[in-house]
Amino acid sequence: MEIIWQGIKSAFFLIFSGNKEIYEIILLTLKVSGIAVIISMVLGLPIGLLVGLNNFKSKRFVITIINTGMGLPPVAAGLFISLMLWRSGPLGIMGIMYTPSAMIIAQVLIASPIIAGVTLAAVQQINPKLKLQALSLGANRIQVLWILLKEAKLPALAAVMAGFGGVISEVGAVMMVGGNLKGQTRVLTTAIVQNVRMGSFDIAIALVIILLLLTFLVNLFLTLIQQKENKTWYQRFWK
Amino acid sequence: MVSKILEITGLEKKYNSGFSLKVDHLNTEENSILVMIGPNGSGKSTLIKLINLLESPERGSIYFNGKLITGSGVDKIAVRKEMATVFQEPLLFNTSVYNNILMGIQLRGKTISDCKEIFYYLADKLKIKNLLRRNPASLSGGEQQRVALARALVLEPKLLLLDEPLANIDQQSREELRNDLFDILRTAGRSTIYVTHDRNEAMIIADLIAVVNEGRIEQFGLKDEVFRKPASEFIAKFVGIETLIEGIVTEYRDNVCRIKIGSSKNDIYAVSAPVDHGTKVTIAIRPEDVILYNIEMNPESSSAMNSFMGEITEIQDLGIFKKVEIDCGFSLVSFVTRNSIDRLGLETGKKVLSSVKASSVHIFRGSR
Repeated sequence: MEIIWQGIKSAFFLIFSGNKEIYEIILLTLKVSGIAVIISMVLGLPIGLLVGLNNFKSKRFVITIINTGMGLPPVAAGLFISLMLWRSGPLGIMGIMYTPSAMIIAQVLIASPIIAGVTLAAVQQINPKLKLQALSLGANRIQVLWILLKEAKLPALAAVMAGFGGVISEVGAVMMVGGNLKGQTRVLTTAIVQNVRMGSFDIAIALVIILLLLTFLVNLFLTLIQQKENKTWYQRFWK
Repeated sequence: MVSKILEITGLEKKYNSGFSLKVDHLNTEENSILVMIGPNGSGKSTLIKLINLLESPERGSIYFNGKLITGSGVDKIAVRKEMATVFQEPLLFNTSVYNNILMGIQLRGKTISDCKEIFYYLADKLKIKNLLRRNPASLSGGEQQRVALARALVLEPKLLLLDEPLANIDQQSREELRNDLFDILRTAGRSTIYVTHDRNEAMIIADLIAVVNEGRIEQFGLKDEVFRKPASEFIAKFVGIETLIEGIVTEYRDNVCRIKIGSSKNDIYAVSAPVDHGTKVTIAIRPEDVILYNIEMNPESSSAMNSFMGEITEIQDLGIFKKVEIDCGFSLVSFVTRNSIDRLGLETGKKVLSSVKASSVHIFRGSR
């Protein structure tokens, strides 16, 4: 019990003491996972929409691949990206192994299928006739996708939250491709693992609390967007 | 000059299920209301989707406002933006009623100020002014369909497509909404294609009627023509003709033919085009055209050529009317008001005199 209490006290001390290393770790964590989730949204949302809303021959196979991707073990993603980015690997020429860029790529590989898969399942629940209604109102293809994505706003944002939760808490892949280099690729999860290995449980607990706090704040922000009513048009024009 | 807003020729659409829609010819004029009636699954909704370019035909042509809109190279989005469709389901989006109504306006690149006047008019007329802040999920089925109608009407389309918009609403809301909608359509004078399987709706609002059955247009023409002179027994039944009797033509003189009905002593006279002696025909008489009299009335004192003495076999309450079935050697059906029932003292088993003008009797060749 003492060790937990000590961890909580350390967390507050670390947050408010202005410890440069901690702030660097927090910022890098947010930067890597934030960029990874944004890229995953750009990839996953349209893929989920297109696969979910269209009928094509190999649709079931594609859905199976996406669903498999949702359960992709992070270490497998880490190993795959490592092999790609290794100096002698196909993309070794890029020279980004053990950099935040490599970590972002690994996290994109983990988060994209999650966002695509949840979006896909969400849009398949939408009444297919809504697509016809949008078309008959004069929407073009992109507008139809946007309208239907808004229809699946709640689950789509849940997909983003799931994707963010998946990558910010992930350790295997970022450890493999980032290397946990102090001041360069050390993020909260890799720092926690290292501190546990070193027996510094109080710092590890402090970092876990910070990680949970960050996850909570990001999810709180996304939840507020998710639950927000769209009243702007009405407020602007109806008096 | 009245111009054709829509003209369809040789249109064909086939589905894997085996169902095929084939429309040889159909057209509607500007500011007129074409009602497509027919049973469920007859192809009415498919035709609406083809006209709205939501589906593509295998062959045939659709001309909208004088321009060919089928085939390659057509800007489908631009064509759709000149039409508006209301489907059987309200199909509202998960945003406020206000945003739903203005969604088409926004997609068509118009501003709110372009439609403020009609927006207020429709909100008032369709009784949704107090619902604008609400999410459609919290509305009743009737209210949702009112919003869907407002969303289409606010666009002031060149062609309004209404695909059974009242079909999924409870009886009471349906009647209220029907009155409001028909009032708007009459006032606006908008070119409309209205799909329904309710002949009463067709009778109230239609200028033109197309009867659709099993993917084919069985009859297309002016409302009175279709209701008075159905081309087949199917159409006759569908447009509410209760009396259908088989007979053989025994005489034709002065545009009137005399028809013998089985072993009945009563012959029926009908105004018609020349028919050969001995031709088998089916007689169709609308129930509204059968007039009932007290038996003391002298049949000779009426101008109607058909007068039959009979016995009432059944009286059914239909709300506004009562349906009276009379056995005159053949079964004859008449619709009379509650007031007339009381005035004539009509009841089951009572003798009654019925008459029908020869001009109200329609015949078509062939027997059932």
